[in-house]
Amino acid sequence: MNRYLRLYLNFLRFSFSKAMEFRLDFTFRILMDIIYYVVNIAFFKVIYLHTPLVAGWNIDEMMIFVATYLLIDAINMTFFSTNMWWLPFFINKGDLDYYLIRPVSPLFFLSLREFSATSFVNLLIAVGFFAYSLINYPGTFSAVDLLLFFALIINGSLIYYCVQMLMILPVFWTHSSKGFIDLFYSMGVVMERPDRIFKGWLRILFTTLLPFALIASFPSRIFLDGFDAMTMLHLFLVSLSLWLLMLFVWKKGLQNYSSASS
Amino acid sequence: MKKWRFIVAMEFRKIFAYRSDFWVTFLGQTLLQLLVARALWQNIFESQGQTELNGFTLSTMTLYYLITSVGTKILAGENVGFISREIYDGTFTRYLIYPLSFLEYKTITYLTYSLFYSMHLSLIFLLYHLLFYPDQLTLITLANLTLGTGVFLLAAFAYAMMATLVELMALWAENIWSLMVMLRFLAFFFGGSFIPLDFFPAWALEILKYTPFPYLINLPVKTIMGQMDPIQVLQGAGILLFWIGFFRAAVLLLWKKGQLNYSGAGI
Repeated sequence: MNRYLRLYLNFLRFSFSKAMEFRLDFTFRILMDIIYYVVNIAFFKVIYLHTPLVAGWNIDEMMIFVATYLLIDAINMTFFSTNMWWLPFFINKGDLDYYLIRPVSPLFFLSLREFSATSFVNLLIAVGFFAYSLINYPGTFSAVDLLLFFALIINGSLIYYCVQMLMILPVFWTHSSKGFIDLFYSMGVVMERPDRIFKGWLRILFTTLLPFALIASFPSRIFLDGFDAMTMLHLFLVSLSLWLLMLFVWKKGLQNYSSASS
Repeated sequence: MKKWRFIVAMEFRKIFAYRSDFWVTFLGQTLLQLLVARALWQNIFESQGQTELNGFTLSTMTLYYLITSVGTKILAGENVGFISREIYDGTFTRYLIYPLSFLEYKTITYLTYSLFYSMHLSLIFLLYHLLFYPDQLTLITLANLTLGTGVFLLAAFAYAMMATLVELMALWAENIWSLMVMLRFLAFFFGGSFIPLDFFPAWALEILKYTPFPYLINLPVKTIMGQMDPIQVLQGAGILLFWIGFFRAAVLLLWKKGQLNYSGAGI
């Protein structure tokens, strides 16, 4: 464990020094995420000019939900996103060999090697907006509610990571340069909507097979509407299944990896 | 003209080379965006207990998002990096031997993608009727579809100029990917791709009037839906032409200055 922690600290050091080399890009990326945040907040502000409730939530509750998915997005951008971008190229070009022969878990190395320093600044902004939304929230909540909420946000980030991996890993078989990652990015919009707007087969799809609705909406629902054992059980079962499925596909993918480039 | 035709044909061949990839992504993205937007508005209509909001019923709202999802592809169908990648790779030099200017070549390839996606506008009627309203007569006439497609292509030309302007920044900046993403966010949001502009507050619309954004998406979509009279369409097209001229002049200026910065080595 200590070895992995030391290794991760080295990843951090390299990532920050690399980011500082390209200062203009560093600034642009921060600005880009700020615009993304503003557009997302403005989207719901405009909608609430015409309706007092969306999916049973008022504007203050919706802002907690928006802050939640912005925070989860920022966590993923900071810790996983750059690594996820490169993974299909490594698999496709046969560069995975260099990672498989190292004396650490290849999944750990490939998922966490690149820490995005620019996104870390945005993560701080997202945390700030999250705190602002909580302060402005007129309802009451205890420290335990808040702790559970944070745990569910971390879980949401892991669901996001697992789904993203499951969209990338088909590269082992398809040998394309992207897998289904473009589709994954398009599906990001599902995470940005309250789960209660989805009905019928669409709801089943987004809460089980493609569980984007579980990433931010379920944690927000548990925080805003109160603890619900069934919702928690659903969240736990899907998260666990997804994690196991991702590990299974990763192992199968490695068995299929020929190391030849295409 | 012959050279242009050759480039368009060549680009079409490239697009069709990845048919299955394209259809999975195109249909997947279009349907997904539509279903999510429709679910949101259905919830709003139901919670309000109304069948109409700001002149939109659920069926016209569905149609709006269906056209928009194809429309955003017409505007920004070509990938981010269509110029900057060449600058960073140092492959820019090869255009010196091309029988037409670099900017002309890139604009034509960009608009080929727009043309390709605009052909899919007719597909939306099929989707609209098959998936949502099989019993309803179409709200769109052939004349409006043709006119709207023309306005979309004009809007794509304006957006291509804006994108070229940002891409050329690569002659100075080490990475412009984030600038292009910013441009997309702003153009799509203020163009009415996320929410129809009819829902924006009056003060915001007053400011937006002086920007190119409402003419990029809102104008062509409303033209296809038959919600614009011919005078409004002509006015909008005129404003788009003004913006094309404005951004074209800026592109030429930046190009003239930026060429001196190009080393050919790549980074």
